[in-house]
Amino acid sequence: MKLTSSHYAARMGFGLGVLYLLLATPVARDWMEASMSRHMLVQMPLLVVIGILASRLLPTHWQNSVLAHLGGAIPFVVVALFASTYWMLPRALDAALNDPVAEVAKFISLPLLVGFPLVLAWRRLTLIGRGFVWTNFISMLAVLGWLYIVAPVRVCNSYLVNDQESAGWYMVIGAVLLFLWWLGTLFVGGGVGPDKPDRNGTGTSLA
Amino acid sequence: MASYTYTPTPDQGAKASVVAYLVVSCVVLLLMMVFGLLMRLEQSQFTAIGGLWFYKIMTLHGAGMVGIVAIAGAAIMWHFLRQYVELSTGIFVANLVIFLIGVVMILASVLIGDFHAAWTFLFPLPGTSMGMWSQGAAALFMGGLLVIGVGFVLLHLDIARAIIKRYGGLGRGLGWPQLFGPDDGNAPPPAVVASTMVTIVNLVGLVVGASILVMMLVNLYVPTFEIDALLAKGMIYFFGHVFINAVIYMAVIAVYEILPRYTQRPWKSNKVFLASWTASTIMVMFIFPHHLLMDYAFPKWFLIMGHIIGYLNTFPILIVTGYGAMMIVYRSGIRWDMCSRLLFVSLFGWAVGAMPAFIDGTITVNYVMHNTLWVPGHFHTYLLLGMVAMVFGFMYYLVKPDENARDSAIDVAAFWGFVIGTMGFTMSFLYSGKESVPRRYAEHLPEWVPYDRIASYFVILLLASVLVFVFRFLTRLGLAGRDYQRASLARSIAT
Ligand code: HEM
Ligand SMILES: [Cu+2]
Repeated sequence: MKLTSSHYAARMGFGLGVLYLLLATPVARDWMEASMSRHMLVQMPLLVVIGILASRLLPTHWQNSVLAHLGGAIPFVVVALFASTYWMLPRALDAALNDPVAEVAKFISLPLLVGFPLVLAWRRLTLIGRGFVWTNFISMLAVLGWLYIVAPVRVCNSYLVNDQESAGWYMVIGAVLLFLWWLGTLFVGGGVGPDKPDRNGTGTSLA
Repeated sequence: MASYTYTPTPDQGAKASVVAYLVVSCVVLLLMMVFGLLMRLEQSQFTAIGGLWFYKIMTLHGAGMVGIVAIAGAAIMWHFLRQYVELSTGIFVANLVIFLIGVVMILASVLIGDFHAAWTFLFPLPGTSMGMWSQGAAALFMGGLLVIGVGFVLLHLDIARAIIKRYGGLGRGLGWPQLFGPDDGNAPPPAVVASTMVTIVNLVGLVVGASILVMMLVNLYVPTFEIDALLAKGMIYFFGHVFINAVIYMAVIAVYEILPRYTQRPWKSNKVFLASWTASTIMVMFIFPHHLLMDYAFPKWFLIMGHIIGYLNTFPILIVTGYGAMMIVYRSGIRWDMCSRLLFVSLFGWAVGAMPAFIDGTITVNYVMHNTLWVPGHFHTYLLLGMVAMVFGFMYYLVKPDENARDSAIDVAAFWGFVIGTMGFTMSFLYSGKESVPRRYAEHLPEWVPYDRIASYFVILLLASVLVFVFRFLTRLGLAGRDYQRASLARSIAT
């Protein structure tokens, strides 16, 4: 490995660590978690993104051997799917607010059980697998947004109904924007996969 | 300017998977046509199967036909596209298997569960059956559609992957560098351009379709999660319309690929061709509001957009394709056989079938015409005489015994039977529509019955002809997989 890239990895890792700790400070948490939209659509995705970026810094051969030992891409996608679905449940949001254990679990599981497995799996997936994940995620995000918008009751104890409605709208808008972005990447030819095993800077594309 | 010359390429036989697609298509197509006949016989008062069975059959006919022409279209697209890019046979086969699973679910829902809310599953009908069918039956039907959709998503993802890998992006697949820059003659062949377009619009359509299906499934069991009925209608028609339109854009690849082989003239992906496909890629997604023109609650700009884009999208690909075909055939001394005949007539059928839609897409006409038989008249013309003719043309091509084989008189008679039968059948629909006969009525007033009866006779002629087509294909199936020259060279080049 070239010196510059390990240098870059160290700096990137440091930056991510700082961001993670910042998110974990009481001030940041209070502010993020005060609204449902910020909690679900800013804090939690940020935790996943930190997990994704950090996992990419791991040595390639190490990623490959973990993948090989644990049964390939599909189990990793399934783990990420279940972990992320859990945190979409209103009850999980409530728990994170009221129970410190759940809050810690959230801070650990989102990077580790969503971001990390996605990065490992992504390297092995072609556009068929990646596109399948994206199209499913996008349509489910839109449907979930609709559920939040039309829910006849307050789904979280901790958030008000109008907060839940605006979170729903953000999800729908987010789904549309994500879909456009993803189609855009196909137009310019990204994300065909699988990434070459010897390529440095693993799992290079998001699409 | 790029110059175009014809470079002959060897003619490849179909892979077993393509043949499997086509055999399934034949069988289902025939069965669904018989269902179509049953509906016409009922409206003609020749039979009395009753409303329940009429609507069950109508639901199966709609869903079955749309699904099976998509399968047949996919077979044509895949057969030719794989000669340019590396497609996955596994995914292609998986799509057929998933399709068949979905079909079983739909059959069970309709035949056992009595579901009969039409293939458009328009909200809120599936969930408000007044005891005519159970929640489970409705869920099974919508679940079946969802399953079929998943298979097609996989197929299109694989096509996108292969095109991106070979050409470097879907933009390049549509030939954008040649369209917007200097035409260096290296634009992808028409088969790739068409497949790219279909893949883009179907991916968008299917994601929207899957979303509304899941929403309706949730609503079915937890009705307090309410769905805005207009939103649901918009999403369903967006998905349904894109999907059924895409079918003819898949099948037309047969015309692009096969006709040039007869006259050894190239089908050019020139700027005009590329521009029309790019334009339609966008317009096909905005054309569906012509089904919503009567829903006054939609914003006005939305409906006007539907009107205008409906007008505009009628033409580009149709004209480019029709003109292209003329250039291939004109004074070439082409030898007409079953394949070239069917492919040529399919362009005529497509053009004729598009006209009634153009007329119906006019807001003022739409108010009186839309829910009449005029609309089935329109889409049966372009689907039967356009799309299905392309499919049978392709089948005749695959099993043509040798380059100079002659068609028997029976086949030629069946060709004319097909053309006349279809025209008679669809003209009856159109005429009934003009006389304001509503669509989707199991029972017709006595004044309407004569048209229905005339139509029934034409349907019998059409069905008899299709039986000949299918019989020919199935009895010569062994030839489909072989590599040999099938097209008879035009007299101007044959020596
Ligand atoms: C022998 C050929 C066919 C016959 C006799 C036939 C007959 C019919 C009849 C009688 C109806 C109901 C019209 C009404 O009263 O509303 C119908 C509807 C329909 N047909 Fe066909 N059809 C044929 C071929 C096709 C093909 C090739 C397709 C291709 C996609 C197709 C797609 C449909 C659809 C989508 C509907 C609408 C169902 C609905 O209103 O929910 N048909 N057909
Ligand atoms: Cu339409």
